[in-house]
Amino acid sequence: MSQSISIEKVKYALHKVVENLEKNRQYLNDLDSPIGDSDHGESVCNAFHKIQEIVDKFPEEKRDIGELLQAVGKSIVLSGGAAMGPLYGTAFMDAGKAVLGKEELTPADLVQMWEAFAGGIKRRGQVELGDKTMYDTIYPSFLALQKAYEEGKSLKEMLREAIEGAQEGMESTKDLVSKRGRSSRLGERSRGHIDPGAASSYFIIEAFFGSLIDN
Amino acid sequence: MKVKKFINQPENLIEEMLEGFVIANQNKVKRLETERVLVRKDAPVTGKVGIVTGGGSGHKPAFIGYIGRGLVDAVAVGDIFAAPPVQRVYEAIKAADAGKGVLLCLGNYSGDVMNFGMAQELAQSEGIEVESVIVNDDVASSPKERMDNRRGVAGEVILWKVAGALAEEGADLKKIKEVGERAVFNTRSMGVAHTPCILPTTGKPSFQIGEEEMEIGVGHHGEPGIKRTKMMSADEVTELLTRQVLEDLPFQRGDEVTVLVNGLGSTSLLEMYICFRKVAQILSDYGIKIHRTYMGEFFTSLEMGGFSVTLTKMDEELKRLIDAPCDGIHFVQH
Repeated sequence: MSQSISIEKVKYALHKVVENLEKNRQYLNDLDSPIGDSDHGESVCNAFHKIQEIVDKFPEEKRDIGELLQAVGKSIVLSGGAAMGPLYGTAFMDAGKAVLGKEELTPADLVQMWEAFAGGIKRRGQVELGDKTMYDTIYPSFLALQKAYEEGKSLKEMLREAIEGAQEGMESTKDLVSKRGRSSRLGERSRGHIDPGAASSYFIIEAFFGSLIDN
Repeated sequence: MKVKKFINQPENLIEEMLEGFVIANQNKVKRLETERVLVRKDAPVTGKVGIVTGGGSGHKPAFIGYIGRGLVDAVAVGDIFAAPPVQRVYEAIKAADAGKGVLLCLGNYSGDVMNFGMAQELAQSEGIEVESVIVNDDVASSPKERMDNRRGVAGEVILWKVAGALAEEGADLKKIKEVGERAVFNTRSMGVAHTPCILPTTGKPSFQIGEEEMEIGVGHHGEPGIKRTKMMSADEVTELLTRQVLEDLPFQRGDEVTVLVNGLGSTSLLEMYICFRKVAQILSDYGIKIHRTYMGEFFTSLEMGGFSVTLTKMDEELKRLIDAPCDGIHFVQH
């Protein structure tokens, strides 16, 4: 596996993200039923609906991965709706900004990009770790990615560990009490359920990083 | 539970509803070509601050039923129970702005707050004056110390009425925001439901509940409230809701209030009058005078079974604005 990531790979990974969310649409709705209003799968799929078009229409001659991610983020912000549009949209826009001008992502670029992605969620949602949100999946995945990078592991290992970090993060939300969004009004009654946003973030990471490993 | 609904393809239901709505009310409303935004027919109205609202669909007659003179100028229509996206809110702002600025009225939900907030920034960056008032009247959704975490429910109707009336009088944006915030601050609500609605998009109920149970303090998307109990009589449950609402502000002897008893979708007006009767008795016992009463379905949760009680403490200015005539599509007052 190459130690850098091309724009073609990023485009492919973005398609895989949409596919994975669609595949898990009903599961995300079901997760949202006990602590929300049973529509997280709908919201998140709607928010990501247009990005395949954005990716496909992104001019072949443009090679800037940052620009691509910003275009994706802007589309999600403007037309995504629900809470998911602003949150995931801001994350992609910030991620794009962090790697603006890059035509290849090195492992160091990837860490920087993912830190910005997590930062976007934190900034827009004003969340902290442990609030039982998507951030509880995304931030641990960043930490795992960074740690693997600092330990000098290969890109493949970095990606795999980031996915594992995301999974552990998602699972950790089960025991948390929600402090953000609709479920926060449940207080203690939110405990015992995986946060649907944490789950959709996991599916995004699983598909995005997973397809970079396989590809 | 078998889902029985008069719809066609679930994915087309919002578009088909809007199509019917616009034809039925073509003398009062138009639709933007580019976005799912409904606008008062004569908007932007010269010399008037624009009032813009919006949110998820499924709350009929909210939000689009409040478009009209003395009420709302433009509505950004979201999917079922999902906030409208930034672009749509931004287009609603532009459609309502006649050069005197725009007030955004929204419920306190993270999706609405983020999308409206980003649309506000976008419009401001283009030189449109935009302010917002966020409704958080649901006392059951968070303790008083954390009022900024409370949901907005039927109290938003009071905001539309007051802000819409003031805008019609020609007041400036700063004044409308100030009075709108006071109306929200003086408004408290609490609801109860015994039956969830079925989401037409997923075919699933909005929450699970036992046959003989009800959810006290339910939100109008079916969010859980503060406790789940056995069904109570009309008097018992109305007393519980009303006392909690009264104690929260707190309302005091000598206050004058507007009462809004709001059906959540499938509770009969017959039942609601029985409940209102109890609200009136309790207010009388407290020495609180009813200035005006609104009864009916003002802000539903599809066909949820239940109702909410909203009280707004009046002052002279709020009384004048509440009493002003309005000509909304589903809210007409002479």
